[in-house]
Amino acid sequence: MKLEANAKLPDVLLTIQATLITNTVDATVHGCYISDLLSDVLAHAQPGMLWATVQVHRNVVSVAATKDIPAVLFTCGRKPDASVIVEAEEEGIALLATPLTTYEAAGKLWQAGIHE
Amino acid sequence: MNTAPTTEPVLSAGDARKITIAQVLVYELRVRDAMSHPPFTALPSDSLRTIQKLMKQHKISGVPIQLGSKLLGIVTIEDIITALDKGHIDDLAEKRMARGVITIRDHFSLVRAVAEFERHGFGRFPVVDSADRLVGVLTRGDITNCLMHQLEKRAEEAIAFEAASLAGRASDELAQRIVIRAQVRTGDYDSAGKVSQRLRQILRERGIDPDVRRRAAIVVYEAETNIIIHSLGGEITVAIDPDKVVVDAVDTGPGIEDVNQAMQEGWSTAGRLPRELGFGAGMGLPNMKKCSDVFEIKSSNGQKTFVHSEIFLRKVTGAS
Repeated sequence: MKLEANAKLPDVLLTIQATLITNTVDATVHGCYISDLLSDVLAHAQPGMLWATVQVHRNVVSVAATKDIPAVLFTCGRKPDASVIVEAEEEGIALLATPLTTYEAAGKLWQAGIHE
Repeated sequence: MNTAPTTEPVLSAGDARKITIAQVLVYELRVRDAMSHPPFTALPSDSLRTIQKLMKQHKISGVPIQLGSKLLGIVTIEDIITALDKGHIDDLAEKRMARGVITIRDHFSLVRAVAEFERHGFGRFPVVDSADRLVGVLTRGDITNCLMHQLEKRAEEAIAFEAASLAGRASDELAQRIVIRAQVRTGDYDSAGKVSQRLRQILRERGIDPDVRRRAAIVVYEAETNIIIHSLGGEITVAIDPDKVVVDAVDTGPGIEDVNQAMQEGWSTAGRLPRELGFGAGMGLPNMKKCSDVFEIKSSNGQKTFVHSEIFLRKVTGAS
């Protein structure tokens, strides 16, 4: 499956075997950033990107909101608490979860045409 | 609406929004905001009569019994009444006090405190801090008082705001400068980003360029997390003017030994817990500097740390 530069969430979910854990209606992402260090994301991620991480603490939502990141992907089967999900919904941030490792998820996204 | 695959029941954000201000307050306020402090305590060697006088003098209904910094028990008004009835009012506290007292932590939210009252049916709880030191006493009445006080404060703020709005031009100036001042507590990772979130909202409402808005939010977020991770606690003041955001963060120590080293990317003294939560990348201060138009830091070992940052604002092109 090929993804467009502005990839739609349902297509991203299919590509990386992810489920959507927020009640997000729709969102698009262009590019992806991978990091488990919050300050690194604040410094180097671009607004609009998908952010893949193994961190599931509520600070992930704060950082994503600060940086205008529309969607966060939790890898390695990690899931956040319900309170984090509520907070993400209030901020309008989509949360995705996949059993894949960050490396596998990144590989599949790259293969599907996300090269940013 | 939700057409995407979902595997888990999800609490809808819409439900969370339909709550009253009092309900919000019980989540926001902590036990330490409501408790009576410092606590009036007595020694195990004090007589119940002495304790009764203490209760009368301070109009309290329970006295923790303490030796040094160790909480041994509690004597309540019910114990005093029983003692008067049975004629052992001159007994020592250690003979009659309730031992194995259940305490609550000062950082618990009031909603949790209310639940504890319901669970145990006590009239009061001794309050201890994270180091198990007795710091106050909390009664149901304290909670009600605190809530009433906060509601009154909010109401006064609303009235003041309305009066200012009616005052015409003066209101423009009032609305133009917003100051957020917040206490930041050490180790309170759950509160990281609260100030930054409010700042983002205000800047968004004011139509500030997203790039500038993000820079300002990053500065404040990093300031918050720095105080939480590295300091003994502190305060952040964010003044939002039409043309700039001024951030002043100050903590109560312990200071930075080598500021130049701390300004280098990758240098971090964060411990294991913050690192596990994704903090401690060693990029906090460099990030703040990079995002600021004016940046100053003042610190030395054993001293307070002051960070001052200014971000110049511009609106989205075309916005009024």
